[in-house]
Amino acid sequence: MKNMKFSPTRLSAKVSAALAMSALIPVLAQAQTPTLSNPTVSAILDGYYQSENRLMAERTEGFGLGETELAFSASIDDMFYGKLTTVFETHDGESEVNVEEAFIQTMALPNGFTVRAGRFLSDIGYLNNQHLHSDSFTSRPSAYRAFLGGHYFDDGLRVSYIAPTDLYWTMGAEVFSGDSLRAADEHGEREFDSTGVYTAFTKFGGDIGVESSWQLGFSYLRNENGLLTPEEHDEHGEDDHEDEHAEDEHGHSHSASYTGKNTYVADFVFKWAPNGNYKYQHLTLSAEYFRVSDFMVPELHDEHEEDEHHDEEEHHDEGHGKDYHQAWYVSGVYQFSPNWSAGLRYGELDAQLQHEEHFDAQELKETELSIAWHNSHFSTVRLEFSHQSNVGFDNDLSDNAITLQYVMALGAHGAHQF
Amino acid sequence: MLWLWGLTVHINFKLLISGVLLSLSQQAFAQVNIFTCEPEYAALAEELAPEARIYSATTAMQDPHLVQARPSLIAKMRQADLVICAGAELEIGWLPMLQMKAANAQVRSTDKGLFFAAEHVDTLDKMANVDRSMGDVHSLGNPHLHFSPERMLLIAKALTKKLVQLDAEQTEAYEQRLQSFSKRWQAASSKWQEVASQLKGMKVIAYHSSFRYLFDFVGIEQVADLEPKPGLPPTSAHLASLLKRAKQDDISAIVVASYQDLRGANWLAEKSSLPVIVLPLSVGGNEQSNDLFSLYDNVLDLLIQEYNAQKLLTL
Repeated sequence: MKNMKFSPTRLSAKVSAALAMSALIPVLAQAQTPTLSNPTVSAILDGYYQSENRLMAERTEGFGLGETELAFSASIDDMFYGKLTTVFETHDGESEVNVEEAFIQTMALPNGFTVRAGRFLSDIGYLNNQHLHSDSFTSRPSAYRAFLGGHYFDDGLRVSYIAPTDLYWTMGAEVFSGDSLRAADEHGEREFDSTGVYTAFTKFGGDIGVESSWQLGFSYLRNENGLLTPEEHDEHGEDDHEDEHAEDEHGHSHSASYTGKNTYVADFVFKWAPNGNYKYQHLTLSAEYFRVSDFMVPELHDEHEEDEHHDEEEHHDEGHGKDYHQAWYVSGVYQFSPNWSAGLRYGELDAQLQHEEHFDAQELKETELSIAWHNSHFSTVRLEFSHQSNVGFDNDLSDNAITLQYVMALGAHGAHQF
Repeated sequence: MLWLWGLTVHINFKLLISGVLLSLSQQAFAQVNIFTCEPEYAALAEELAPEARIYSATTAMQDPHLVQARPSLIAKMRQADLVICAGAELEIGWLPMLQMKAANAQVRSTDKGLFFAAEHVDTLDKMANVDRSMGDVHSLGNPHLHFSPERMLLIAKALTKKLVQLDAEQTEAYEQRLQSFSKRWQAASSKWQEVASQLKGMKVIAYHSSFRYLFDFVGIEQVADLEPKPGLPPTSAHLASLLKRAKQDDISAIVVASYQDLRGANWLAEKSSLPVIVLPLSVGGNEQSNDLFSLYDNVLDLLIQEYNAQKLLTL
């Protein structure tokens, strides 16, 4: 697990993170004029109050800290760039220090090739490679929370290529250990592949006139450890499983709630600003579709088919026979002045929950409205109303939640992605 | 099946030929691919390397501080041989991301194909201690350099050196063009100097420090800023204090750049009965500003027109 919970065995990690932080403080004070080659040190402060728990969400009811991060990055020499991002989180009184990014990247490979190694955010989908603090909503869409544990970062290697064309065209492939995307293994007996996740992605993009820009992406993720384990029939096993799931849905976890062998993602972003001037007003529309398929082991599949034929009446849930989960969202964010922006997002999740030998359909629909006040480019206070309705989840959570959040950047804040 | 095979061979052969021709033609007429962060540097490149393929990332209608590291810019930078930017941290919010994503080592270092104009001149308003509470200020000084005729000439010289370094075969052509540009620029500069003398002592309220170098060159005093702090939009409290200042009656105009929001300026203009002058931030900022020369002509024109009208009124 990458979650370094505060336990004696992880103490060394905690201490070293603290040491790293204290070592960085003088740098932070000095780093007032970071240039392209000098070290960049930045900290993000994220705190919130949320009125209710939300399914699979990182933020829990009450006051809490979101992703409070300390990032340190620099060109190491003319060949390499490096970045370290440490994230501090508090959940139910328990503090965690996570290393979210610790990677090196090549800077001088010829012909548009780049290699990145270490721990980093996967480049699948649109939102995944963006940091949470640049989001326009307090939580990631359900697709990300369900299938990628919020945002998917992992230890691995990426090779990417950008074509020398006027139409932006990039493609890449990644290999990851895939620990956080492993299927649930309630007995700890399963032998997982140590290199579990392979991805491939491509993105296209361009401008339409001076005012509009777009990007379209397709990604594929193969998860060698995504197949479910057939569940045992004894009562004890089932209890264990229920417990674990309850924790997954409720509590804090960077692991995916639903896994499968194959994941397909399509994403689209469109941005517009009058005259292409992003200072005053601009609009961002984005949409993503996820399909996670092939999670049933063959014997489960067969039993399932039989189920379907024999007692269709008995199982009235729609989810039967579906060997895939899917989720999508559409979002629109408009900045109507440098100080104010508002966003609206709607998303659906359609998943299958393993229950003994059959699967129960689950459905989650979420609508979020967020209003943000930006005192400057570096400080945001956000109020979000979210409405969710679900079918088939164990937790009967309230339909509406209000979240009040601040996100602020200290120090030299790096450039944002499109 | 034989005909199909023949067809494939035929197509491949054609592809091969066109591929060879393409690479030959690229070698014969190596066209320098120039990416500029701002339109003034595209205009300067146009003067010094007119046969190059030149692309400007921004227009005079856009705030150069806030630019999206969008796909089209990454694609252009991927192909660039030379990237010309103002520097002094003006592009800190987007240029590093473009460099990172474009994977083009050629334009990553100023030793090679990266050129920061601010590194070749003395900037105004350098600050020893910069704090975010001061707003979006640049410790390396004001980066909006292009309205200083003197500095632009220095930049032109340095840029020619860079062009020669990258494309040594054309050395002579670049030097000739620099010579021609210098001559025309110096002639124009003394003309502008003369025209500008009419504006000496003019006091204005302006938006941001976009025209810091113009005011310095012309002798205009910016007595107040529409922004309460650099980078922050005008607030009503701040506008009220500006109105108070305007009532001292020594101010001639409110100056706003082509990309800046007019609402604050218009409100103040209405209350104080001061005129608003919208100046092109750069080449392309209005119909008259087509190159660096006409940009200066037009900006001085607009200021003089308004200043003289004001003088007439007070008479």
